[in-house]
Amino acid sequence: MTRKPIFLTSRRTVLKTGAAAAGMLAMPAILKAQDKPGEIIVRAWGGAWGDALREGVADPFTAATGINVRFDFTEDNEIKPKIWSAVDQGRVPPIHVNWDTTTNATISALRGVTVDLSDLSNLDGLLPLAKPAGLDGYPLVNTYAYVYVCAYRKEAFPDGPPKSWNVLIDPKFKGRIALYDDGIGFNPIAVLAGGGTLADIPDNMEPGYAFYRKVRDNNPLLGEDPDFTSWFQNGEIDVACTISVNAREAKQNGIDVEWTIPEEGCKVDTDGLWVPRGLPANEEHWAKEFVNFALSRDAQQKWCSLLGLPPVYPGLEPPADLVGDPAYPTTEADFARLISIPSPILVENQPIWFSRFNEIFQG
Amino acid sequence: MLLPGATRREFMKREQENRLPLSWKLLDGMERVVAFVWPSRFRHAVGWWFLLPALALVGILLIGLGYMVQYSLHELDISTYRLRADYSLANFATFLERPVYMRVLVRTLLASVIVTGVTMVLAFPYAYQLVRVRSAAMRKFLLIALFLPFFIGQVVRAYGWLIILGREGLVNGILGQFGIAPLNLLFNYPSVVFGLIQYMLPFAVLLIIPAVAAISEDVELASEGLGANWWATFRHVLLPMARPGLVGAGIVVFTLTMTDFAMPEIMGGGKNDFFASAIYDGFFQLSNPGLGAALSIILVVVGSVIVSGAFFLAGAASLKARGGG
Repeated sequence: MTRKPIFLTSRRTVLKTGAAAAGMLAMPAILKAQDKPGEIIVRAWGGAWGDALREGVADPFTAATGINVRFDFTEDNEIKPKIWSAVDQGRVPPIHVNWDTTTNATISALRGVTVDLSDLSNLDGLLPLAKPAGLDGYPLVNTYAYVYVCAYRKEAFPDGPPKSWNVLIDPKFKGRIALYDDGIGFNPIAVLAGGGTLADIPDNMEPGYAFYRKVRDNNPLLGEDPDFTSWFQNGEIDVACTISVNAREAKQNGIDVEWTIPEEGCKVDTDGLWVPRGLPANEEHWAKEFVNFALSRDAQQKWCSLLGLPPVYPGLEPPADLVGDPAYPTTEADFARLISIPSPILVENQPIWFSRFNEIFQG
Repeated sequence: MLLPGATRREFMKREQENRLPLSWKLLDGMERVVAFVWPSRFRHAVGWWFLLPALALVGILLIGLGYMVQYSLHELDISTYRLRADYSLANFATFLERPVYMRVLVRTLLASVIVTGVTMVLAFPYAYQLVRVRSAAMRKFLLIALFLPFFIGQVVRAYGWLIILGREGLVNGILGQFGIAPLNLLFNYPSVVFGLIQYMLPFAVLLIIPAVAAISEDVELASEGLGANWWATFRHVLLPMARPGLVGAGIVVFTLTMTDFAMPEIMGGGKNDFFASAIYDGFFQLSNPGLGAALSIILVVVGSVIVSGAFFLAGAASLKARGGG
């Protein structure tokens, strides 16, 4: 009697079934991979900011996935209503990934136009800084911290860097000082420089407004990131409150600029990435993949080194020129020396602060 | 065989028609189609049909304005950053409660008046000279000088001024040669007004040229022949006859200045905003479309009232091509 090769047939069936099951399981990923968009559009800031994102994240992402990354340099405040109206009207948003300030990103999250990023694999192990405050899940993810430093022309300060933000009201520098044109980065500092305390923020900002009035009398220039670089370059200003990235870029371009943290401290803030709702499924998938890629070790190392900013990926080495720099906080003690205002407070109060700032400086 | 007379005539006519070029026959055919589709009794409506695209564009603008009015009547809910459903005048109240908006509006209107006045004073002689100059070469030069700025956008021109008037710019460089310390020529109100005058001048000249060209030189000669000096001729002949162009140019320059955004932003140093900047801040900086829309409506109303007033004072008929009225 010959034995019927039951086992052999059965094994073949099992193998076929297994292969089919594996194929079925892999199908969504395969389909998604097949549905790769030709490009994804990332809103970015220009200059040193965009160059760093290109070199640190976008180009390596393209090399890894074959998807081109195009930058949209629309101003962050201007892209916001475009995305909002697209989502509200059921249109495809104009960009795939928004590189945004955490405050603006939080506002968009409150508006309900952001995709949840909680399932990104690279979120595990990031510093707590990566998690947006006051929001459920990850409607955005913070990617690094930055400091609004006191940048100054060395030539104008032969006795050493300015020790206090009171330098902004020193008549010696009348007409040669600069702030952001919406007061961003300086509102809490103005309160401290004006004799208030952190406990005054946000309920009693009057010391800050009083300080702003003195600054106004010293005839400041008010501008955006690129203005600071060109004003330093053209000899228009001697001292400014600006993000350390801009001061570092100016210095790297050969402009005689240094920066310092005055005794009142400096404001530390974060930027983040988020994906708008309303994208086709495959584009949303790859937009999230881009964000995930930006949180990977290599991308964080390269991107943030180029920016000169502390990343949310733990344990990365700072760039050589920023080792020990107080504008590059890495430890809790470093952060404690800086002024951090929680995003929910910023979201709620920034419009009020901006209105008052505007009233003072447009007077 | 001879055909009967009537039949022969028809035959001849048909023969003649057959000899007509094909293109003529096609045109005849098209004419018959057009006459069928658009009978001659509708001819008087042709002009209106050509007006339709322009009317459609204005209509779309009005629809947009309607939306703006609607937005302006809803307050922002800061917990969701959406406009509340209920109607309110809160955004207009904000305009009244915050003096900064009135200050910026007054600053804008004052600049519009100054820019319009100075531009007209500079534009009229240019337009007059361009029309009256005998030398063809000089006319070409004046035309090129007039049109060249149109090829350079407002933003580029403003940045050009930053280079020329900056602390280390051309003017301060020249002053430095004479031992004069650098002057702050930029980032103040006068520099914004100066930039706007330079920007508006070509618009004004272009609008005044047809009005001056419509004034016969013989009229000026007649005026002089009757004993008028150049000032009397200018005041009593040229100015009244050029009024259509002057009024049109004045209104265009005034409204363009009143709504300008780039020049105050670039040359104002952040402290000399015009009302357009306040509108921009409402929409984008504050993410408050209700407030932005309310400020926009206020600017439209103020602008419309001023332009209507100008028409009332100058007479609406002053825009007629040949004046009168």
